[in-house]
Amino acid sequence: MKRGLAVYAAAVYLFLHLPLATLVLFSFNASRFTLWEGFSLRWYHAVFTDPDMADAMWNSIIIAIVSTLISTVAGTLAAYALWKRGSRLLSGSLYLSLVTPEIVTGISLLAFFQWIFRWLGWHLGLHTVILAHVSFSIAYVAIVVAARLRTFDASLEEAAMDLGATEWRAFRRVTLPAIAPGIIAAGLLALTISFDDYVITSLVAGVDSTTLPMVIYAMARRGANPSINAISALIVVVFGAVILVSERLREA
Amino acid sequence: MNRLRFWFLLPAWLWLALLFLAPLAIVCAYSLLSRGTYGGVELPWTWESYRRLIDPLYGTILLRSIALSAAATAICLVMGFPLALFIARATRRKNLYLYLVILPFWTSFLVRTYAWMFLLRDTGLVNTALIGLGFLREPLPLLYNDGAVLLGLVYGFLPFMVLPLYATLERMDPALLEAAADLGARPWSTLLRVIVPLAKPGVWAGTALVFIPCLGAYLTPDLLGGGKSVMVGNLVQNQFTNARDWPFGSAVSLILMLITLTALAVFFQRAPKELL
Amino acid sequence: MNRRTFFSSSLAAGVAACRRDPRPRLNVYNWSAYVAPDTVPNFEREFGVRVRYVTYESNEEMLAQVVTGNSGWDIVFPTHNRVPPMSSMGLIAPLDHRRLKNLANLEQQFQSPSWDRDLRWSIPYMWFGSGIAFNRSVAPAPRAWADLWNPRLKGRLTMLDDPEDVIGASLKKLGLPFESTDPEQLRLAERALIEQKPLVRAYLNAEVRDQLVSGDVLVAQLWSTTAAQALDAGPSLDFVFPAEGFPLYCDCAVILRESRRQELAHQFLDYILRPPVSAGIAQATLTATANGAARALLTEKIRTSPALYPPPDVMQRGQWPGTLPAAAQRLRDRIWTEVKAA
Repeated sequence: MKRGLAVYAAAVYLFLHLPLATLVLFSFNASRFTLWEGFSLRWYHAVFTDPDMADAMWNSIIIAIVSTLISTVAGTLAAYALWKRGSRLLSGSLYLSLVTPEIVTGISLLAFFQWIFRWLGWHLGLHTVILAHVSFSIAYVAIVVAARLRTFDASLEEAAMDLGATEWRAFRRVTLPAIAPGIIAAGLLALTISFDDYVITSLVAGVDSTTLPMVIYAMARRGANPSINAISALIVVVFGAVILVSERLREA
Repeated sequence: MNRLRFWFLLPAWLWLALLFLAPLAIVCAYSLLSRGTYGGVELPWTWESYRRLIDPLYGTILLRSIALSAAATAICLVMGFPLALFIARATRRKNLYLYLVILPFWTSFLVRTYAWMFLLRDTGLVNTALIGLGFLREPLPLLYNDGAVLLGLVYGFLPFMVLPLYATLERMDPALLEAAADLGARPWSTLLRVIVPLAKPGVWAGTALVFIPCLGAYLTPDLLGGGKSVMVGNLVQNQFTNARDWPFGSAVSLILMLITLTALAVFFQRAPKELL
Repeated sequence: MNRRTFFSSSLAAGVAACRRDPRPRLNVYNWSAYVAPDTVPNFEREFGVRVRYVTYESNEEMLAQVVTGNSGWDIVFPTHNRVPPMSSMGLIAPLDHRRLKNLANLEQQFQSPSWDRDLRWSIPYMWFGSGIAFNRSVAPAPRAWADLWNPRLKGRLTMLDDPEDVIGASLKKLGLPFESTDPEQLRLAERALIEQKPLVRAYLNAEVRDQLVSGDVLVAQLWSTTAAQALDAGPSLDFVFPAEGFPLYCDCAVILRESRRQELAHQFLDYILRPPVSAGIAQATLTATANGAARALLTEKIRTSPALYPPPDVMQRGQWPGTLPAAAQRLRDRIWTEVKAA
């Protein structure tokens, strides 16, 4: 049975990786049709010279970085405070936000923003997308950091305080460095989730805040365009690298 | 407590109030209001949106969503169990095998969904290859139907099933398997009578982690279903954009939340430790 | 990556995000394939401004953003029968004719159209009708809306992603008025559409053009301008205005009341009213312009295209749909959701 299992596993791995592999392979196809006509970098060139793509990429990066910063800080602090003494309401809400379907989060934020913007006279834009991304990232960060905290020995902090450190000092000098890999892993996780988000972003983005997933989605809807292969290949490589780093840090 | 805890929790409480509870409250309110003819909401307050949900048409969408989610979960379970077993039994390179499962999952979901569009389109790889090899004369309509959506869901969520299964199977005591062998059980028998029952917590966890996201899926049915394989997520999105019926959309999303929470409660009972 | 690098790089990103283009900005939201490649860049150059030009595929998509009253757009292009309700909801800014010197270039019939007698709210831009585009390999060739219910077309037929057009086609097929507000008649039309659904490959607007050209789609309910574009790229395609009757539409440019750049918006409208600009657009995109002076500048081939400028006997079968009363509009929207969900 062991050999049968190995063959089966290979087949499943093939199923998991072949679609992406062919996508990346055909990003180098010289022809715009699905017939291989030679190696070419023209689609990568198209991607890098498209001004809309550049705008969208820039927006995606800004949104990802800013929202990750905010949610990592907020999530880490919350996870730490909840670790010291729990709050059922807060923990429960964080879990609830994880379980809530993205579409529900998205429309609820859209409704909320439109409602208060009527009084404030604001528009949807980068700021609303950032707030929305913070909204769903906080829970992820809190969970990862909480998991890391569970492996941390609380007596280390107590020892520091016995030696005269304030709570804040103990946190900053003892706990924080110890859980730092977990925090960074959480941050990287939030970064990739934010960068990849389509559903929520498309609902709360304004005129000026088109993101890369929105551009890809529009192109995918419109039909055959090998530029999508090129941009997809780039994303696969970048994401893959980030996640590998994140996993290594999580286990460090 | 103390000031530290107050300041540390402040951002989270702000998040809770402004970015979680307030939006949900607005959605609840909207679900009870009337629709403006060209969009937006207006008075009077009414149960109309909920009454519309009773229409069998929407029941069909709900049932289709549940059916597709259940089918995807079942397929993931059948596909994923042997793989999880393989990884748990592996003596070397366990981490490598795990990475190979996680890696495709963590690359962009949108890209992975598009990969299937690229393969299944009329001018896509599968059809072009089959026609080129002479098996077909005309392209098969592989895309834009329930089957394609199912495939996309399975592909998207398989790792969610494999990981908890692996976690449970790995913890299994090998002595139990030896005992079964000593008592004369053949491999298949051991599998069904010993391994599978012991893996039940993992099965429930994996089921929850696949079924619940599938219920609220939006991108997969939208891109792979071509707007014809409508699931609940698509219905909600449509009401908030093109159809401009925010009250109805709000009602549908609250029902979706309700079903999600019910499913979660059911699964949580069976596998509380794994899900945390 | 250590903390310091992380923070400083994100700070740099944040600062960079604040740098702004000093030129004034105009946000224009228009249908796809409705300007020539140099239309917007020429305007940007001449007036020293930057234009954010984004496209949409349906009125509903545009309205969903605009109806909130703070969408961020300055100019949008609704179809003519959306203009009266938009203006009564206070979404449109009244036009200042003193700033629109090129208004006289409009064709006679569009100088005082039924939906906006004094052109107080809108400027007619491009007009078209709905019909059937098909591949000549389909025999017999479709001639009427009823031909779209032919079971032999299964999987190779598309309808528009537009409730008014699709429900209207169904009504016409049943011999009922296009603008019917009778719930009974609308329910009959709905039933016919649900019957048709298994044959329909997808509900697509202009996106179907490439699939028609490539032969994936054989018959499509399509707007005449998109059809003209498809015919130009696909020699085996043809287009017909159905026998039972068909709707005529005019997309109009409006300035949104929320816009804080009214002056610049007027300049843009005046710019696209110039005959050479309008002719350039019509020539490049194969559309029928409402600008009479521009029409005179078009090539023979386009001026006499039967899809773009149908002969009078065909135009007789066409009608310009008006704005529906609120209750009828809501009923149609609900029917559309039900047809899409079935």
